[in-house]
Amino acid sequence: MRGYGSTLGLYQPGSGFLYRTPLPVKAVVSLACAVVVIAWRSPATSAVALVLSLAALTIGAHQSPARILRMLLPAAPVLGILAVYQGVSQGWLHAVAVVGGIAACLLAARAVTLTTPTQDLLDGVARLARPFRAVGADPERFALALSIMLRSIPYLAGLFVDVREAARARGLDRHPRVAVTPLVVGAVAYAHRTGEALAARGLGGAVDEEGIGEGRPEDSGSGAGRTPPRAPGGERTDPWDAGGRPRLSPGPPSRTGVAPPRHLRC
Amino acid sequence: MLEFSGAAVRTDDGRTLLHPLTLTLSERRVSVIGPNGSGKSTFLRLVNGLLVPTSGSVAVFGRDTRSQGHAVRRSVGFVFTDPLSQLVMPTGREDVELSLRSRKLPAADRRRAGEAVLRRFGIEHLADRSIYDLSGGERQILALAVVLAVEPRVLVADEPTTLLDLRNDARVRALVAGLDQQVVFTTHNLDFALESDRTLVVDDGRIVFDGLPRDAVARYREIAATAGVGGP
Repeated sequence: MRGYGSTLGLYQPGSGFLYRTPLPVKAVVSLACAVVVIAWRSPATSAVALVLSLAALTIGAHQSPARILRMLLPAAPVLGILAVYQGVSQGWLHAVAVVGGIAACLLAARAVTLTTPTQDLLDGVARLARPFRAVGADPERFALALSIMLRSIPYLAGLFVDVREAARARGLDRHPRVAVTPLVVGAVAYAHRTGEALAARGLGGAVDEEGIGEGRPEDSGSGAGRTPPRAPGGERTDPWDAGGRPRLSPGPPSRTGVAPPRHLRC
Repeated sequence: MLEFSGAAVRTDDGRTLLHPLTLTLSERRVSVIGPNGSGKSTFLRLVNGLLVPTSGSVAVFGRDTRSQGHAVRRSVGFVFTDPLSQLVMPTGREDVELSLRSRKLPAADRRRAGEAVLRRFGIEHLADRSIYDLSGGERQILALAVVLAVEPRVLVADEPTTLLDLRNDARVRALVAGLDQQVVFTTHNLDFALESDRTLVVDDGRIVFDGLPRDAVARYREIAATAGVGGP
């Protein structure tokens, strides 16, 4: 399952000036690259953008040419098809401009995600989405969704590698369905697992709902006037101690009334 | 304090995964043992609201898992059997910080808090390694760290030592033993179950025994022997 470990598209700790450059600067430069390439579409513009992106990754993030090439590999099939289509329909110079421009934009965007810790990226997205609060959007959820999306792309790319290798090992690599079906099933399973993992940590739900750990239930609106739960013996007990910590019974199970062995005590 | 009041779980096609169950768990360490497919994980998932009962109710410190599920989940940490199902970020540092986002700390404070959590669990040297490069034991410790980073009131762990070798099994058990939280866990490791204060034996969706761990283990051995597979 080596594919699962793919870190394509994700932050990798390293050194270089790009790591020290603030996220807004990197984001604006990356966006500017896209705007320039689209607005002044020509082979020369694409070539300049490509050279600048390569230089940024090589000098600013200390990436080797081989590694940079690998960053483009997942997009290679699409770029290839696009090059042929553009070349045949619009001419080969136009194809160079389009494909070169897209490659430059991909590398510029990769330079941002490669050199920015995911949590910083999330903070940036949350800040950017803050104005949408006015229409009821939750910037944190927006950022979380983006981070999960960023994480999912390399995971699915890795899953594809694993599925293809598994099919090849069984001599079934000529059957596309054999590769696609487990990929779809795996993607759905991954989405389900990720959702469950986030839910289990209380992430992705209502933002202003307080957890139990943040106050006594009696202190919150919903808990006001709540009757303390009934203990096994019938008497009502307050589950919270004076310090606001839950009152836990270290004693024996209620059925036996015998002190249990204490192999490990907190 | 976990309260089950007639809580039952049935599937849409009418299969009963957990028969109506009424009990209160207030002990610091509660273990749940039983055969595979007996309903242990279903029971655990009820505790933090990952699953809501089809009838009856479950309350955690007075909060209903159905109507206040999100609040309950923020207060009940859940550790999965497979840590790779738990970890959603590429490195441990990022995953711990993801957990801490719910605290809405400034970025610098969150980073410091994340480092403190990693130090507390002795895995700061693994912080920037890919989660896929970690050993099973390291991953499970990290999974515990990301869940405990937000200091939940209750920790629920679904067979946390099942995929571990003996050394890592001991590490995780020692870590669980040292926690302040109430811990409810399922396990097939009967030595681990013996370290709890109270043990439930689940069989065929029913709690067939509830009491002291050594008595529970004996009961479980009887069940296994009756099923013709011999004692564990």
